[in-house]
Amino acid sequence: MKYLLAICSFLLLGTGLHSQSKRMMLRTATETGIRFSNDINETENLNVLAYEYLYNGGGVAIGDINGDNLPDIYLTANMRPNKLFLNLGGMKFKDITAEAGPGLAGRADGWKTGAAMADVNGDGWLDIYLCYSGKVDAAKRRNQLFINNGNGTFTEKAAAYGLDDKSYSTQAAFFDADNDGDLDMFLLNHNVKKIDNLELARYKYDVDSLAGNKLYRNDGGHFTDITAEAGIRQSPLSFGLGLAICDINQDGWPDIYVSNDYNEQDYCYLNQGNGTFKDVAKECFRYQSQFSMGVDIADFNNDARPDVITLDMLPEDNRRQKLLQLQENYESFQLMVDQGLHRQYMRNMLHLNNGNGTFSEIGQLAGVARTDWSWAPLFADFNNDGYKDLFVSNGYLRDYTNKDFLRYWGDYKVKKAIDREPVQLMDLVKAMPVTRYANYVFENGQDLHFLNRQAEWGIDQPSLSNGAAFADLDNDGDLDLVVNNINQEAFVYENQTRQLQPERHFLQVQLKQTNKNTRAIGARVYVYTGGEVQYQEVVACRGYLSSLPAVLHFGLGASSQTDSVVVYWPAGKKERYTGLPADQLLTLTPQQGDIESSDKAVSQSVVFEEIKPLIDVDQHAAGINDFKRQLLMQFMYSSVGTVLAAGDVDADGLTDLLVGGDAATPARIYRQEPGGTFKPIPGAAWQTGDTATLAAALLTDLNADGKIDLYLAYGGYGLWEAGTTALQDQLWLGDGKGGFVRAELPAVNASAKSCVRAADVDGDGDMDLFIGGRIIPGRYPETPFSYLLINNGNKGFSIQPGPFEKTGMVTDARFTDVNKDGRPDLLICGEMMPVKIFINTTAGFVDQTSRYFEEGNSGFWNTIEVADVDGDGQPDIVAGNLGLNTPLHASIEQPVELYYADFDENGSVDPFLTFYVQGVSYPFVSRDELNDQIYSMRKRFVSYRDYSTAQLKDIFTPAELATAQKYTATELRTVVFLNKGDRFVKQALPVEAQFSVVNRILVQDADGDGKTDLLLLGNRSDNRLKLGSIDASYGCLLKGDGKGRFKYVSPVESGLQIRGDVKTAVPLSVGAKRLLVIGRAEGALLFFKY
Amino acid sequence: MKYKFTIGLIGLIMSVSLRAQTQPDWNQRLGWSVDALSRVMMHDVVNPPAAARYYAYCLLGAWQYAAGADAAIPDPKMVLRTTIGKKTGGNDYRVTALFSILELGKMMLPSGYMLDTELDKFTADLKQDGMDTARIGRCRREAKATAREVVAWSRTDRYNQLSAKLRYTPKKGEGYWYPTPPAYMEAVEPNWRTVRPMLMDTCNQFSPLPCVAFDKDSSSAFMQLAREVYDYSHKATGDELASAAFWDCNPFAVSTAGHLAIGFKKISPGGHWMAIAGIACQQARLEFSQSVLVQAVLGLTLMDAFISCWDEKYSSNRIRPETVINRYIDPKWQPLLQTPPFPEYTSGHSVVSAASAEVLTYFLGDQFAYRDSSEHLFGLPTRAFTSFRAAAGEAAVSRIIGGIHFRDAVDNGVLQGRALGEFIVSKIRGLRVPAFVQK
Repeated sequence: MKYLLAICSFLLLGTGLHSQSKRMMLRTATETGIRFSNDINETENLNVLAYEYLYNGGGVAIGDINGDNLPDIYLTANMRPNKLFLNLGGMKFKDITAEAGPGLAGRADGWKTGAAMADVNGDGWLDIYLCYSGKVDAAKRRNQLFINNGNGTFTEKAAAYGLDDKSYSTQAAFFDADNDGDLDMFLLNHNVKKIDNLELARYKYDVDSLAGNKLYRNDGGHFTDITAEAGIRQSPLSFGLGLAICDINQDGWPDIYVSNDYNEQDYCYLNQGNGTFKDVAKECFRYQSQFSMGVDIADFNNDARPDVITLDMLPEDNRRQKLLQLQENYESFQLMVDQGLHRQYMRNMLHLNNGNGTFSEIGQLAGVARTDWSWAPLFADFNNDGYKDLFVSNGYLRDYTNKDFLRYWGDYKVKKAIDREPVQLMDLVKAMPVTRYANYVFENGQDLHFLNRQAEWGIDQPSLSNGAAFADLDNDGDLDLVVNNINQEAFVYENQTRQLQPERHFLQVQLKQTNKNTRAIGARVYVYTGGEVQYQEVVACRGYLSSLPAVLHFGLGASSQTDSVVVYWPAGKKERYTGLPADQLLTLTPQQGDIESSDKAVSQSVVFEEIKPLIDVDQHAAGINDFKRQLLMQFMYSSVGTVLAAGDVDADGLTDLLVGGDAATPARIYRQEPGGTFKPIPGAAWQTGDTATLAAALLTDLNADGKIDLYLAYGGYGLWEAGTTALQDQLWLGDGKGGFVRAELPAVNASAKSCVRAADVDGDGDMDLFIGGRIIPGRYPETPFSYLLINNGNKGFSIQPGPFEKTGMVTDARFTDVNKDGRPDLLICGEMMPVKIFINTTAGFVDQTSRYFEEGNSGFWNTIEVADVDGDGQPDIVAGNLGLNTPLHASIEQPVELYYADFDENGSVDPFLTFYVQGVSYPFVSRDELNDQIYSMRKRFVSYRDYSTAQLKDIFTPAELATAQKYTATELRTVVFLNKGDRFVKQALPVEAQFSVVNRILVQDADGDGKTDLLLLGNRSDNRLKLGSIDASYGCLLKGDGKGRFKYVSPVESGLQIRGDVKTAVPLSVGAKRLLVIGRAEGALLFFKY
Repeated sequence: MKYKFTIGLIGLIMSVSLRAQTQPDWNQRLGWSVDALSRVMMHDVVNPPAAARYYAYCLLGAWQYAAGADAAIPDPKMVLRTTIGKKTGGNDYRVTALFSILELGKMMLPSGYMLDTELDKFTADLKQDGMDTARIGRCRREAKATAREVVAWSRTDRYNQLSAKLRYTPKKGEGYWYPTPPAYMEAVEPNWRTVRPMLMDTCNQFSPLPCVAFDKDSSSAFMQLAREVYDYSHKATGDELASAAFWDCNPFAVSTAGHLAIGFKKISPGGHWMAIAGIACQQARLEFSQSVLVQAVLGLTLMDAFISCWDEKYSSNRIRPETVINRYIDPKWQPLLQTPPFPEYTSGHSVVSAASAEVLTYFLGDQFAYRDSSEHLFGLPTRAFTSFRAAAGEAAVSRIIGGIHFRDAVDNGVLQGRALGEFIVSKIRGLRVPAFVQK
C-alpha cells in the first residue's frame, strides 16, 4: 500500500512538473490586464501595395515611470491607440493611458512606430519618445516627446526640446554620445520608396534628411541636429530597421550599429571621441545580412567582448525556403559589391567579436541563421545559467515574397481584363498567403552553439510578432518577456526559472548618477564569478522598435555570490565591488566601490607578427563565374592561386620561392639573397597567362643530381577542356644555378590537377610523383584522373597504373610510411571522399582505407598534413574540411549526397546535391535552377509550391535515378586522425577550427613551448550565393598540449588577421628568422614572423 | 398527311437555316486557339525567342491538314527541312487541325496542361455543332498522333542543348551590355543562334549593318543617339507615348514595392503579331486553310527573325540606353518602358515586326487597313493602322520613344527584318502560292 502511494505521488509529481515545466509561461490578458493588439486593417487605399512597411509592427518600451521599482510597459500600435500600463506588482497591470496623458495614445491619423523610455531631461523620471512614419503629411509624422511630470502624468514637449522631427522614423536611442553627462539622441530613419537602381552610386552621396538617420546633441535641454558634422550618412538608400548602441571597440565611447533593409549595407559607426563617427563596417565584417531587420549587441560567449546579431528573412524549413528564397543573381551581386554596398546575404548573421577589430560570422555554426522573417533579436539570460540566451521575434502578415504570388498578379490582371472586371488591389492583397509561425528562443549551449527551445520553454505560439522587450516584471529574479503582435494580443511571458530552478542565482545591477545621465547609460559592467566573466553595458535601446529598463540582469548559475563586480562609469572611473551576494537588485552610485586605475592598453606580444611583404606580388582574382559553365555546382574551381613553392634552386643555402602568378603575371622564382631580400631570377619565369592555370608547383631534386628541379601542375576550371595542352603539366630540370631546361612528360592532361607530391616509391633512388586530379572542367563531378609518374632515370617519367587513378576529386596527397616497411605509402584526400590510404606493397599500391579508418569519414577534405602531434613517435594526420559554418550538415545517418547523370541526355552532366533539412533530405537546387538545367522539369513542377516539398525521388523516376552515380559526405569537421599503430582514430578539433573551410595546415611549434601546434588557414568565398562566402576565419592557431589535444588561441594573442581565401602557406627561414608566407586567392602575399 | 409533311418540311428548313445561322466561324476558332497558346505562354512567362519557337511548331500540324485539304496550300515539307508533310483530315480537317494546335501546345508548353480547359470547351462547341462524340474523338486522336510527330521533329532543333551551353557572362568594357534595373535579370537566351532555323540556312544570313560604335565623348555619333533617346523622354507626344505602351510586349516587366516584386505580364512581340494575323485573316474572310497557312508561315518567320536578331545581339553585345544615360547623362533617368534583359542591337521588335509585315503584306496586300484590339487585355485601347508595314514602322520607332533602343538598332533592325521577310516571301512565292487578297 505504501509502495502504491509512492508511485501515485510520483505520478502526481510527474504531471505537476509537466504542467509547470515550461520556462516561459504565457499569461493571458485577463490575468495581466494587458489588453493590447496591434490591429492592421487593410483597405483598398491603405495596404502593403500602397505602403510597403505596413506590416513592420509596433514596439515595446519597458521602464519604471513612477519610481516604485516595478517596470511599467508602453506598447505602440501603428493604426490603433498606444497604451501605457502601470505595473501593480504580481504580474498585474493597469491601463493608465487616459489618466497619464491622452496624448500618449499617439495621433489617431499618424503611423506610429518605435518607442523609447529615457530620462531625456535628466530629472530622474523616465520620459517617453514616440516615433512616427508612414506615407502621411509631415505634420502627422512629427515625433513626440512625452515629458514625465513626476506625478503620474506626461506632457508632450517635442518641439520645445527640438525633437519634433518629421523624418520617416523607425526608432530613437538616447545615449551620451559625447560623454558630457547628458543624453543625446540617434534617430533611425528609413525611406518610403525603394530605389532599385544599383548603378546609381550617386544616390549614396545624395542627402535625404527624411530617409537618412540623424544625430542630435543635447545642448542643455535643447537638441541640436549635428548629423552632418558628426559624419552620419543620410543616404536615400537608408532603410534603417535596427539600431544598437554599444561600445563595440571598448574604448569608453559609445558606438552605433545601424542595420539597413534592402540594398544599403549596415553601418558600424565607431565613435572617434571628437564628436565624429566613422563607419568601419567593411573592415569589421566580411559580409552582412542583406535585408537586415533588428540588431542586438551583447557578449554571448562570455569573453567580455560585445558580439553582434542582425536578423534577416531566411526560413528554417525547406518548403518555405523553396517558396520564398530569392533567385541568385551574380551580376547584381557583383554590381552591389562594385558600388560599395558590401557583400550581403539573406540570412541572420551572428558576428563573433575577435577582439582585434574583426568579427567572425558564425550564425550557421551557432544554429541561429534561419528564423524566417525576423524582427527583434534579444540576448538575455532567461535560464539564469550565466550565459545569454537568444529570443527572436518573427512574422509578416502576408507572404509577399512568395514566388508563385509574384506570377499570380500578371495572371490576375489578364483574367480581370478578359472578364471585363476592374482590378482591385485588395483582391491582390488577399491573394497573398498569410502564414503565422512561432517566435524563436534559443538556449545558449555555452560552446558557441544555440539550442532551439521553442517547445521546451513554451515560446511556440504561432503569431505575427514585431517589437519585444524583457525585464523582471515581477521582481522575482528572472527575466520576463513582452512581445507586440499584429492582429493578436500582445504576449506577456512570465519566466518561471526561479520557481523551477531556485538553485540558479542572479544579480541585478542598477546604476544611478547625479548628472543628467541619471541612469548611467553607457556604463560597462563586468561580473566575475568562479573564474568566469559576464559583460553587459547599460543601454536602453535594444531589440526592435523597443527599449528596456536600465537594469542589468546577470544569471549566476550555481554561484551564490560574485567574486567581484567591476563598473566603468561613463566618462569616469573604474570601480570594483567585491564579494557581493547574489539574488538581489543592487543599486550602485559612483565612488561606492574601490576605484582602480583604468587599464592602459598593454601592447600584448603575439605569436605571429605581420611584417612588410618581402616579395611584392598581387594576385588577381580569377574573375570568371564557373556557374555559367555548370549551373548546378556549389563551388567554383577556377581560383587556385596564389601557388607557392620553396626550394634552394641556386644551391646557395638560402631557400628561394616560386610565386605562381595569374592570368597577367608569369610564375617566377624569387632568389633569396644574403641580406634577406628576394629578387626574381631572370629567365625563371613561366607565362601561362590566359592559356592555362598553374595549380601546383614542386621544387625538389627529382633526378638525384643534387640540383633542384621544377614540376608545374596545371588545373583550374575556367574554359579549359580535358585532353588539351591547357591541362598538360611541365617538367623543368634545374642546373643548380637558377636555370631550368624543359624535359619530356607523358600526356597527363585528362583532368585539372590539384597537387604534386614526390617520393621514391620504387626504391630506385630517384623521385617518383603523384599528381592529384581535382576536376574535369565542364564535367563536374565526374571522377577525374590522378597519375603516378614513375621516374625511369634517363628515360624520363612514365605513367604507372594504380588503384588511385579514379579514386575521387583529389585535393591533396601525402607520401608517408604508414606501416613502417620502409616503403612510402600514399594518403589521398578530396571532395566527397574519405581520407584514403594506399599501402605501397611489393605488388603495387593497395587501397587499405577500410583497414586503417572507421566508416563515415567521407568529407569535403581540402588538405592533409602528416606529423606526430601526440608525441608517440607515429605520424598522425591533420585533415582540413569544409567546417560547420555552412547550410550543410552531415552525419552517417544524414549524409550530404551528390547524385549525377545526364538525366535529359543533352550532353551535360546534371549534378544534384542533397542534404537533410529538419530530418528530411532535399535537393539544394531551386526550381528556377532546376528548370534552367533540365527544360523538361518545367512541365514536371508547374509551380513553386509543387516543387517546395519535392525530394530527389519526386524529381526523378526510379529508372532515371538508377542511371545516376553518387558521392556521399558524412563528416564536415576539420579533424586529427591519431595514429594508434594499426589504425587511425578520429578526433575533432575545437569549435573555432570549424568556423570556415580549411585549405592549408601547418604543424609546428609556433609559440616555442616545445609542443606541436596547428595553424589552420583557409576560407572559400567563390561559392553559390545561397551558400554565401565561407570566410569567418582570419587564421586559426590551435595550441597543442603535446598529447594530441588542442586549444584555440584568440586572435588577440595569435596576432592573426588574415582576410580572404588562403590557398597556400609556406614556412621559410630568412636569416635567423622564421617566416610564414601566405598566398591568397586575391591580393598581396602576406609575410608573418614567428 | 400533306399538312403533316409541310410541317415536317418547314421544320427541316428551319433547322437547316438555324444550322446555317450557327455555322461556326472557323477563322474565329483558329484565332481563339492561337490566343489560347498565347495565354499559357503569358502564364509561363515564356521569353520572346522561345515563344516564337512554340508558335512555329504549334501551327505546323494545322498546316499539314490545311495542305491536305486544299490543293492551293503547299505541303510543309516542300519548304521545311523535314519529312513532315500534308495530311488528309477528310471533311473534319478543320477540327483535326485545331485539335492539333491545342494538343501541340499541351505537349510543348510548360503549363500546357492549362489547355485542357480549351480542349474541353472546343469539344463542347463541336457537340453543340452537332458533331458526334465518336467523330470528335477520332479527330482528336489523329491530331494527337500528328502532334507527336511534330514534337519529335522539334526535339532535333538543338533547343534542348541550350542548357548544356556556357551561360552568358557580361563582357567587360564600357560599351557592352550589362543587366538593367530593376531586376537585373540574367541575359535571355544567349545561345539562341544555335537553334535550328526554319527557313534560313544560317543564323547570320541576314546580319544587319554594324552598329554605331560606342564612344562616350559627348559629341560622338553614339552619344547623339543616346541624347535622342533621352530627349524623346521629355518631348514625346501623347500619341507617341501611347504607341510605345501599345508595342511594349514585355512578357514580364517587374515592378517592385519594397520586398514585393510583382510581374506585369504581356504578350510577347511574336504573340502580338500572331494576334494581328488573326484579326486580319478574320477581317479578310480568308478560307480556313488560307488562314492556317498565314499563321503557320508567320510562326516560322517569327522563329527565324528571333534567331537572326539574337545572333546579332550576342555578337555586338551592345549597351542599353538606360545604362548609357544613367552613366553619362542623367543618373536618375528611367526609360518609359522597362528595359528587357538582353543586349540592345538590333531591336528585336523592329526585326520581328518588319519581317512579319512583309509576310502579311504578301498574303493580304499592302494597303490592308485594320484595327488592332489585341492589347485590350492589358488595358490599352485599339489602334488603327493603314497597312502592316505602317504598323511595323510604328512598332520599331516606339522602342526609341520607350527609351529602350537607339535609332540605328531600330532602322537597321527594320532592314534586317525586311530582308528576312522578303526571303521568306520569295520561298512561298516559289511554291506558287498566290496572294490571298489581291493588291
